Amino acid sequence: MDLARFIAKRLLRLVLTVLLISTIVFFVIRVIPGDPALLIAGIDATPSDIAAIRAKLGTDRPLSAQYFDFLWKVAHLDFGNSMISEEPVTALILQRFPLTLALAVLGMVIGTVIAIPIGILSAVKPWSAWDYVGLVMSQLGMAIPSFWLGIFLLLVFAVKIPIFPLFGAETLASLVLPAFSLGFARAAILLRHTRASMSEELSKEYIIAAKAKGLTDRMIKYKHALKNALLPIITVAGIEFGYMLGGAIIIEQVFSLPGLGRLFLYAIYQRDFPLIQGGVVFIAIVFSLVNFAADVLYSVVNPKIRLE
Amino acid sequence: MKKVPRIASLCILFAFSAASLVVAQTKGTLVFGLSGNPDTLDPQKTAGTLTFQVVKSFYDTLVEPNTDGTIVPALAESWTVSPDGLIWTFKLRRNVVFHNGQPFTSKDVRASLERIKDEATASPKRSEFAAIKEIRTPDAATVVIVLSQPYAPLLASLASGWGAILPSGLIASGHNFGAEPVGTGPFKFEKWIRDNKITMVRNDTYWMKGLPKLAKVEFQIIPERAVQVQGLSAGVIDAVEFIDPEDLPLFSSNPKVSIKKELTSLIMVMAMNCSREPLNDLRVRQAVNYAIDKQVVLDVAYGGGKVGSTFLDTGNAYYTDFSYLYPYNPDKARQLLKAAGVDTREFTITVPQNYPLHVKAAELIQQMLEKVGMHVKLQLVDWSTWLSSVYNGGNYDFTVIGHTGKLDPDGTLAGYGTGKYVKWINATAAQKIKEAAAISDFAARKKLYTEVLEIMAKEVPFVYLGTSYRYVGTRSNVVDFRMTPNLDTFDFRWTELK
Repeated sequence: MDLARFIAKRLLRLVLTVLLISTIVFFVIRVIPGDPALLIAGIDATPSDIAAIRAKLGTDRPLSAQYFDFLWKVAHLDFGNSMISEEPVTALILQRFPLTLALAVLGMVIGTVIAIPIGILSAVKPWSAWDYVGLVMSQLGMAIPSFWLGIFLLLVFAVKIPIFPLFGAETLASLVLPAFSLGFARAAILLRHTRASMSEELSKEYIIAAKAKGLTDRMIKYKHALKNALLPIITVAGIEFGYMLGGAIIIEQVFSLPGLGRLFLYAIYQRDFPLIQGGVVFIAIVFSLVNFAADVLYSVVNPKIRLE
Repeated sequence: MKKVPRIASLCILFAFSAASLVVAQTKGTLVFGLSGNPDTLDPQKTAGTLTFQVVKSFYDTLVEPNTDGTIVPALAESWTVSPDGLIWTFKLRRNVVFHNGQPFTSKDVRASLERIKDEATASPKRSEFAAIKEIRTPDAATVVIVLSQPYAPLLASLASGWGAILPSGLIASGHNFGAEPVGTGPFKFEKWIRDNKITMVRNDTYWMKGLPKLAKVEFQIIPERAVQVQGLSAGVIDAVEFIDPEDLPLFSSNPKVSIKKELTSLIMVMAMNCSREPLNDLRVRQAVNYAIDKQVVLDVAYGGGKVGSTFLDTGNAYYTDFSYLYPYNPDKARQLLKAAGVDTREFTITVPQNYPLHVKAAELIQQMLEKVGMHVKLQLVDWSTWLSSVYNGGNYDFTVIGHTGKLDPDGTLAGYGTGKYVKWINATAAQKIKEAAAISDFAARKKLYTEVLEIMAKEVPFVYLGTSYRYVGTRSNVVDFRMTPNLDTFDFRWTELK
């Protein structure tokens, strides 16, 4: 295993991905209707006021000039300033990231703690009580919209029994309900994958061979089958985690949390070009890193898999 | 053994005194539920209402509207205008100090006005100050503004949020007012956590004696309407600016929440694109007006209000009623549509989806127009798209929107008749609007504006739905929370927690 080569290859792929994605985003947001200058100007500004705003934002320059300027800055890891608040895009993203990271990690922990044990038990003992619990939970998790669950949790645990705050992000306690709303929906998906993956492993021939060799039931299920079953679960968990790091827009909205999701959502509403571009590149990088981590984790779980 | 209860009672006593200390400290803090994050806190770089609602407490203006909308002295103690309307002299209040300790003088007025006029500032309100030719500061307490042509609306601009006076020293050093506002206002900026909260504390040296009364105001940014409503019910929020009419029943049996119903200065309209076939035919626009039951739209979509008949808020001193022109009459609408030859053509109402009340109004209007035989569909767009394709691009048939009130009618009417977004061309109206802006005498202005409003009422480039009510919700211990007339900004100077 040549780790250095693997990392170099991955880095190159990351750079190409970022270049491609940022180019697509750069042009798409300029083609769709909407103009940040008009948003700043409001409806009472005169054409000359609007022209002055465009000149200040630089959106009156030819698209090619704007594009090369953008590429030059990205190459220097500079995404410019937000057109609306005039603050540096990188600082805005980094301000929001800790909260989103904490929320995603907590959501993932809650999701995994619910999903994996129940998923495994459901597969090991099909049609048992555990299996039904798992079935009901995954149905609920997928059917209940997360904003509904969020508002419901707030009504119960912040209004009726006020143990958690109704809004704000001052304490760790304010992350519990949002992380649960987020984790519950993730758990549903993860639970299904765990059950399916584990069932599939258990029906494979090597399990019969292991039984014939006289290995204990415990050994077969939890050492051999589980190890192989974990691989697709890691993939799904990695993708889910990547999504959450991009910001859980609806959850942040319901719980009034100042995370990345809301930052990017308003950037799109306001056609804040630099912030949208920075946001997309940031999410692309995070996704690539999480995928990379998942790949490394594969080889840890199963050393037979090589990093290529 | 005896010691234990004594220690316990001491602990209890301590706990109680600590608790009462906390109560004493928090009693002067008002928690306000704000529906969104302001774009910036720089009053000269935005047109966003949210910004002005918050920065109203940080800054003062030379003059300001009082509770009935009349413009009265603020940082200026008095002012005079020369008979030709070109020279405006303001006598400034003495002993006013900025939050950073700098004393307020005429230099600050000049620096602030020059900053908004500077093209590099790129203020959306720059044109409102374009008539200013020169700003003289004969002494520290006098400012003389010389205009290139008479321009009466200047006083309203000076009284609006963007007329805020900033300290000249910080302007010169390029201070970032957007992130850290510094003014002479009743509250000092403390902290802004984007998309989370803004806090401000009392300015103990405020020039209005004994004001403000609150020690602190905390704006909690809560985008979800249901959370705002629950917060107000539960008492974690003391006040919200706007209760959706649909949520009103939730408070009807809650004695701890008081709802104040006020007439806004909004002009709710359905704009019609007069450059498009067949809306360029007056008969079709008249038919649309006859087909819509405005009171129903106001009541159902906006929670009630006063029906309008021309392009001004119904509570405005310059407003004249022309409602006799187009009363609700679906039969007349059908006749006019037939006469104009409108048959199977499909019309679209384009509405900004971020305004659920306008969307609801559009749905009602759609049903009313279909009743008289028109084919109408709805199209929801985001605000940015609305601004670029509808308002500035003219790509629409109908759109439902609310125009915010202005301190001066010129702010509402300027530009109409020349093709501004409804694409309505009327040289007479355009000329009269221009003339009225140069006159300061109320009666003479009102005469001209009445003529303009009559033309607009008859030619109906809009369906004038009217002016809606606003429901401000506060906890019942909140006393004297005010909304500035026409500007809809928050005024916490007199507010108290009883």
